[in-house]
Amino acid sequence: MYTEFSQLPIEKRQDIEKHWWKKIHRMDLLYLCYGITIVSLVVISYFLGAFNLLPFDPEEMDLDNMMVGIGAEGHILGTDFMGRDLLSRMILGIQAYFLPGLLAIVIALSFGSFLGVLSGFYGGRIDTGVTYFNNLVDSFPRLVLILLVVAAFKPDIYYIMIIVGLTNAPVVAALIKNKIQFLKQKNFIESSIAMGLPTHLIIFKHILWYNCRSILIIQATLGMGEAILMETSLSYLGFGVQEPTPSWGNMVQAGSNYLMQGNFWPSTAPALAIMFTILGFYLLGDALNHILEGRKS
Amino acid sequence: MNTHQQTGDTWLSPVQSLAHKLNLDSPWVKHKLDFVMPMGVTIIRELLLALALLFGVSLVVFTILYAAPGDSFSLLLSGERSASATEEVAQSLGFSNSWFGQYSTWLINILHGDLGTSIRTGQSVFENVVSATINTLNLTLAAMLVTLIIAYPIAIYTSVRSATPLNGPLTIFAYVISALPLFWLAYIGIFVSTNVFDYFPLGIGLGVEDDMEIMQFLLPVLILGIGSGTVSEVVRFLKLEISRVLEEEYIRTAKAKGASIWRHGFKEGLLLPTSQIISSKIPFFLGGAIIVEQVFNWPGMGRMAWQAAQDRDFPVIMGIALAAAILVRLGSLVHRMIYIIVNPRASHE
Repeated sequence: MYTEFSQLPIEKRQDIEKHWWKKIHRMDLLYLCYGITIVSLVVISYFLGAFNLLPFDPEEMDLDNMMVGIGAEGHILGTDFMGRDLLSRMILGIQAYFLPGLLAIVIALSFGSFLGVLSGFYGGRIDTGVTYFNNLVDSFPRLVLILLVVAAFKPDIYYIMIIVGLTNAPVVAALIKNKIQFLKQKNFIESSIAMGLPTHLIIFKHILWYNCRSILIIQATLGMGEAILMETSLSYLGFGVQEPTPSWGNMVQAGSNYLMQGNFWPSTAPALAIMFTILGFYLLGDALNHILEGRKS
Repeated sequence: MNTHQQTGDTWLSPVQSLAHKLNLDSPWVKHKLDFVMPMGVTIIRELLLALALLFGVSLVVFTILYAAPGDSFSLLLSGERSASATEEVAQSLGFSNSWFGQYSTWLINILHGDLGTSIRTGQSVFENVVSATINTLNLTLAAMLVTLIIAYPIAIYTSVRSATPLNGPLTIFAYVISALPLFWLAYIGIFVSTNVFDYFPLGIGLGVEDDMEIMQFLLPVLILGIGSGTVSEVVRFLKLEISRVLEEEYIRTAKAKGASIWRHGFKEGLLLPTSQIISSKIPFFLGGAIIVEQVFNWPGMGRMAWQAAQDRDFPVIMGIALAAAILVRLGSLVHRMIYIIVNPRASHE
């Protein structure tokens, strides 16, 4: 028989709290480990690229060793069609999306929680307005909106990431609004108002920090995945980072010219990097969602 | 006001009073009308909402264009650049200087089906966008079908049998599929089709859209359906909905009676989730179509948008953004209609 957590005897509660990790589903643990590995790899590689600690010069051409395979001549992942070291270029390619991706996350979270609090806490007309805005943003396919901005202004990664952040905001807003409505059902907000707490304390401390931080963490990991996807797609389309500066998208694009000749590796290596990284961020978000918000099944 | 007849205490709506006049006010008709009237009101409200959103879309598109640096008169007046000359030309072309004036002229032109002419080709944008939209619709609708064909077996299998050894691998399979970069998958698809099936899939976009062969159609559709990055979300959503419906009490009753579960669970467990997921994923498919059309040289909206973004061809990209928004709004409108018709209770709330 299922008993509410707060109804359990104190020893049992302490026991469960001490062994909280035992309650985590095995698959979630697997996803979590994989995701954390990927995230730490990305962060470490970002700093390696930032301080220029690369095995080879990423723009130095080695015309004797063009498109060699894994491990040849000291190139751990081989070289591309100009004999440039693939591993160094892939590590440096993280520069292309890491900081812009963080910008997109910050915009999505701050703007999204602003909208969510507006519509959830105040409700009424404001809620209608926010819903209209969310539907309006959802009406545009993200890539079309980005192409519109690229055509109107210039293909700059920070403009693109502002759009990615703005288009992610409605998701965050909807989640926070749902959470606030749930808290309202439990008379949580009403009682904190009755206690005389100032509004900013209720919103920032009690709603956003105590109750919504898990939502924000999950959305941050998912947002990074989407930022990577957008950056690689746009670099592929030629609106992102330009050669010779490496980015995973333009590496796939450059390597794909040689794919028909049977040289898979120069485009497959960055493509696999994209896949494993996006998978890592998505699985991490999913595992955190199950662990922090409770598994649904 | 003779249509608003007052009989007793109850106020009769126009349709109901019409039914009264036609001697149709049997209990059955009354019951039906009680359902139909709120549904009609809700449907009209949805239509108005869609119109309001399209108005907002036009405003957003125009604002981005308005804020863009550079103006179109500097091209016309390459010789003399004085302010008075610019003013003169602008006035002779009926061009308003104010923001609102420009916007209203533009909006009225759009409502007449005039999206201007392309800066690059000089052709009418409206006709080009319409034909491109039809091509893209072919691609995306077929690709959605592929996605659903992949997602349904996984979702139904994992939700009907909740704990099987295949559960984890199938879920991970869906994740891996949706994390694959679409452009790379497209190149691998071309490689496989040329080397294994000895067929070169690029060849459309040369103006022979009528005799498009089945293979030319098939490969881009398969690639977009697999790689648009939505498979895992579709699987997750369908799984959640199907297992929720399967736990409902009316399904348990149907089971106990020996009635078909699929028939009773169809509307809520399959029809509504499908229409909802399709309508909410239209933007993603249109976004993915940009890349697939680029790789396969498909003469659709995505390729046109890419070309227009390269050339800063404002009228074209604006037309495409509007067309894409109209498609998204239409999709969500259709979903709302299905929802209202399947679940009339929703319009009473």
